[in-house]
Amino acid sequence: MTSRSSIPRSSIQRTGVVLALIVFAACLFYIGKGHVLFLDTNGITIDGKEFRSYASVTVSVDGKELDSPMGRAERAMVTVSGPRHKIVIADDAGAGNKVEKTFTIPTFTGRVLVSIPALLGGAPAEHWIAPFTPRPAERAPAEKMQRYQDPGRE
Amino acid sequence: MKRLRLFFIENAVVILFVILISIAIPASRLPGKFLLQEILTRLGRSSFLVIALLLPIMAGMGLNFGMVLGAMAGQIGLIFVMDWEIIGIPGLLLAMLISLPISIFLGWLCGSIMNRAKGREMVTGFILGFFMNGIYMLFALYAMGSIIPVMNPELLLSRGYGIRNVVDLISVRQALETFIPLRVAGLNIPVLNYLLIAGVSVFIVWFRKTKFGQDMRAAGQDRAVAGAAGIAVDRTRIIAVIVSTVLAGFGQIIFLQNLGTINTTNSHEQIGLFSIATLLIGGASVTKASIPNAFVGVVLFHLLFLVAPMAGKNLIGSAMLGEYFRQFVSYGVIAVALVLYEWKRLAQEENSRSRLWGGKADAL
Repeated sequence: MTSRSSIPRSSIQRTGVVLALIVFAACLFYIGKGHVLFLDTNGITIDGKEFRSYASVTVSVDGKELDSPMGRAERAMVTVSGPRHKIVIADDAGAGNKVEKTFTIPTFTGRVLVSIPALLGGAPAEHWIAPFTPRPAERAPAEKMQRYQDPGRE
Repeated sequence: MKRLRLFFIENAVVILFVILISIAIPASRLPGKFLLQEILTRLGRSSFLVIALLLPIMAGMGLNFGMVLGAMAGQIGLIFVMDWEIIGIPGLLLAMLISLPISIFLGWLCGSIMNRAKGREMVTGFILGFFMNGIYMLFALYAMGSIIPVMNPELLLSRGYGIRNVVDLISVRQALETFIPLRVAGLNIPVLNYLLIAGVSVFIVWFRKTKFGQDMRAAGQDRAVAGAAGIAVDRTRIIAVIVSTVLAGFGQIIFLQNLGTINTTNSHEQIGLFSIATLLIGGASVTKASIPNAFVGVVLFHLLFLVAPMAGKNLIGSAMLGEYFRQFVSYGVIAVALVLYEWKRLAQEENSRSRLWGGKADAL
């Protein structure tokens, strides 16, 4: 004798389909989540060690090369999707060394700053990649102007 | 002679449009390659939406003006994806998944209401679209940002809640078109769009052949007979509307990703009339529609879209007049199709009556 479950088979199938769709949606979120990389060539000092900027570097992220080589004190923006990425940087002007690194961005980190000099200089990953927080906006000039009085009227 | 007459009556709308386009293309002086590229792009953009209308016609519910409900669900999915910054094909798939439960619910609601308004499904769907538009507006312009958190401030109105009138779909723009790049004779072919359209066409053909599809056709031909044969007519009709609404949601996502922007407040409003006019121009009627009707309609309708303003400019001196003429003709075709349908129905009834009384049946 076999005991029959009180839950109808169709309900189990439907629940299974719904759960599968939820898992699929979560996977899509994980692999499709967009991140903005700010590639920065400004010189940087980490723990007293100075990493100087390079005159010209060619950068490619996930196999896509930037439109033009980056010079000193420049910042380029690249949009990528998913957590794992590969960055390849070639020093065009100097010794011609080439660095290839793979890095992971946490899913809920939207903007990331990548320091090219630190990466080329061999700094640890926690120093060349960091979440990017924009500076708070300055007070609007219009508010300052309201307090301005024409000296000629006094 | 009678056959020829019948052919012209059956295909009056298509013939009218072919004649119009034959005049308008040379008058527009647009290059053939440009027209071909545009038609290839627009076939990939709009066909899915038009095919979404086929199942309710099979189920005898006429043209599903309620498809705007699915379009709203698709837009909600896209808005969420833009807020969460999901890029490319995963973004589109996620938008489709988000739209799925909303479309199913709205389709069920629409089908249930249509079951209470049998024989007046089209006008019911049309008015239901207006009703649901109010709820959509409440959702998009109030709930988003106040009740439902929106992380991306660029999506919000300056007051802090409500979605902006225009949402830029930059992260999913033309993701389908560029996924499999194919260039033939200088023309870009949106391969993935065509694969999706082929998939939904195969689904419709398969669906028609299933037991459920046969039930649907039986219910569409005669509700009373289908009911007497043991078919759950109401349930069948609800499922037809649900599938149509879900496909309309997916179709709207495909349509908008190609355009690259959502007009939050009225992208969905236009899509019902647009798709219905397209299907009718392709030779479909209120009771009979097929996949070729959808493709013929998209080609003819979009050709007129392309050439009418330029033809108007070259012939009359004003592109606006050409565009007004196109709008008048293309949306007037809905009225023409409905009048033709009613006229044919009355003629058939007259024929049946004549046969019953032994008279000569020549009303049509």
